[in-house]
Amino acid sequence: MTIPRDFPVSLAFPPQGHFTQPYLALPCLKAWLETGGFRDVEQLDLSIEAYDHFLSPSYLERAATRVRERLPLAEFEERDELPYRDMAAFRAAAETAVSAAEVARRVEQAKRIVRGPESFDPDLYIPAMRTLYQGLRIVSAAHFPASLTPHNFTTGYSIDRSSEVLRATLDGDQNPFLAFFQNQVMPRLLARRPRVLGLSVIYGSQLIPALTLGRMVKAALPECHITAGGGFLAYIGEKLMNAAGVEECLDSIIFHEGEAPLLALCEALRAGHDLADVGSLTWFEGRGAERRTRVNPPAHPVCLEDAPAPNFDGLPLDKYFSSELALPYDLNRGCYFGECTFCTLPTVIGPGYRTRSATRIVDHVVELKQRYQCSHFSFVTDCMPPGMIADLPQELIAREADIKWWCDARIERKAYDEGGARLLYESGCRKLLFGFETATPRLLKMMKKGQSLDAVSAVARSCNDAGISVTFYCMVGFPSETREEARATLQFLRDMAGIVREVSLQTFHIDEVAQTYREPEKFGIQILDDEGADLQLYHDYTSESGMTQEEAAEMFEELMAGMREFLPLFAGDNILYFMQKSHYFLHLARGTTPDEFARQCFERAERSMPAGAHGSLAVRAGVRTQALPFDYQAVLETLASPLAQAARPDFLTGRFVTSAEDQAAARLAPLGREARVLVYHGAQAEFMTLRPDGLMVLEALRAAGNLAGLQAGIDSEGPGGRGARLALDNFAGDLHRLGLVEMGSPN
Amino acid sequence: MKQEKTTAPAEAPASPAPSKAQQGKVETPGKAQPVDLIDYAKLDLGVEKVDERISPSETNVFDK
Repeated sequence: MTIPRDFPVSLAFPPQGHFTQPYLALPCLKAWLETGGFRDVEQLDLSIEAYDHFLSPSYLERAATRVRERLPLAEFEERDELPYRDMAAFRAAAETAVSAAEVARRVEQAKRIVRGPESFDPDLYIPAMRTLYQGLRIVSAAHFPASLTPHNFTTGYSIDRSSEVLRATLDGDQNPFLAFFQNQVMPRLLARRPRVLGLSVIYGSQLIPALTLGRMVKAALPECHITAGGGFLAYIGEKLMNAAGVEECLDSIIFHEGEAPLLALCEALRAGHDLADVGSLTWFEGRGAERRTRVNPPAHPVCLEDAPAPNFDGLPLDKYFSSELALPYDLNRGCYFGECTFCTLPTVIGPGYRTRSATRIVDHVVELKQRYQCSHFSFVTDCMPPGMIADLPQELIAREADIKWWCDARIERKAYDEGGARLLYESGCRKLLFGFETATPRLLKMMKKGQSLDAVSAVARSCNDAGISVTFYCMVGFPSETREEARATLQFLRDMAGIVREVSLQTFHIDEVAQTYREPEKFGIQILDDEGADLQLYHDYTSESGMTQEEAAEMFEELMAGMREFLPLFAGDNILYFMQKSHYFLHLARGTTPDEFARQCFERAERSMPAGAHGSLAVRAGVRTQALPFDYQAVLETLASPLAQAARPDFLTGRFVTSAEDQAAARLAPLGREARVLVYHGAQAEFMTLRPDGLMVLEALRAAGNLAGLQAGIDSEGPGGRGARLALDNFAGDLHRLGLVEMGSPN
Repeated sequence: MKQEKTTAPAEAPASPAPSKAQQGKVETPGKAQPVDLIDYAKLDLGVEKVDERISPSETNVFDK
């Protein structure tokens, strides 16, 4: 049955989500709805639209003006000391003051580089990425204490309290998406007047923006049914639907897999039927005091083999921050292993394990390749079962799919043997990310990982030998883990250097669905509750043995520092390739081997910049300076301390640790006045600091035109002349090494 | 070559002095000191690069 185009449906992926490629949920839902007869389905990636909008010269200029109004740097100049509580604001104000003009001037070029072939040149790519990161810091400063990065969005509001979440949806000071939705999105939705708006909330970072948009649409288009779903809501949706005030932002939530329930919801709404028969739907019945939250029974999962290929039509595929399009595609849903004690996957996708056949997968891949002119795929899977590890590459090769791909994987020694790995490479596999977790057998057993270190080592070696880049997921702070055990894991990884190229390290967290939460006594832990956190998902805990949570956080830093010593991708600013995982993959996909890329990274980290004090040295264009009353470097050091880190919303969970801010304020000493100069090097998008004397000489150098002009003013034969010349030349050499000055034509 | 800047040249002290004496005051933008009066040997000319502040701890494991 084809539904006439009188039932427009809009599906939105709210900020903040993926930076480099579309998320898969909406294309799957669009395809399923269209198969079900709904032909007018619009999909909006508001996350990438917001990034693109914010990272524009006009927006950044307005943001800088806003920072000057909200965080005036002059307010700090009369102070005798800078307390901890004001340090983040000082940093935001200082960085914006010195960098905003340069970032605004260079941001379009940076976007072009990252999105185009120039991104394969690290000397262009890395400054461009830094410029984008700095642009987002300016956007964040304009909404201080909010923080928007390519990886996260937080505000001063805790996302585990519904009252705070709902307040955040109304706070334009901290929530940059209020104005974005109002000005950039609502006019389109008002013109379209969708009957259903579906919000895909995969991450905690999307919760406040999603409800912000829901509230606006609900006020402006009361006839539009607003539903939401996705991984994050699978965890907290039930609590959210019982929170007072949420009905002003949402009408319903779909749990687990969305295809069948969303289609049923659209059909019911279009026909004017009761929603009680829509599976997996939790919805509000009645209004005001009569309102009831109704929880429907779960829907039957779809037969994945029969599901259509995802439909990416209408997404702004040219706006993703990637030089070449890489599309996600799901091979299977659920996990065939399903034993790991820390894993909560069934909660997100629903129970059971389903897969597509290799034939069907390749049908879809070929279709998507032709339709979107895309040869790069990230296969979405928690792990391929051993049979698929053999079948899929054979099918891709037999059908001459000619693609490059990467995916997550589970250690399966027999499947990833020498022959298996070679076949995977031949089929286009260039990177595999394995759940390694730890090198401690005792902990692996507690985790029920079902893998030995011998198997880990053998699988990594055969994949690496075949030319596939190996990434390990690793965990620190699993209950009872000791410092010694964590350090042994680091040593294991050090021994695997050259075989394992990246390590995705995380501290262990307990969420309410994992076995560690349900049976804490088995893991020797006691769960702590946070009263008032009505949306709480993650919990603090105490452990009978091993590291405390705070010690695990410190150990994270120790392990990361250690890995930055022996993993070339983690050295210096090469870390940007790890942070944007598909950017590294694209290098592999175009033929660079993991060894070659590692060598490039190593050489880049070790490369010494030209130095020396040639007379033609002149200050480079785009070098900006800002005098400051406090030591910027000391501010950074304080804010990087574990106490200060603990006071920020936790990156993974979005939670604020109770009383951490007060503890940090009590224990971190204020800074006394120290005149410093913050320098922003626009071309490199890097910050440096000088003393006021350094600024004086830098400005004298500008005025003189080049170093020879200053050298000429020194009477080298006079008293102190040689010392003065030496000091000047050393300073000029330092500036040269850091790229602030460059050789020009000799006068 | 055209140069850009956000601050005007720092005002020169009446007599060049070690930086310790200058600490505690924000430099007031002003005119550059005549170059032949600068005693470089007495200046605090340290330059510090700010370490990369993009922290790998702030990546999302689900990022692509």
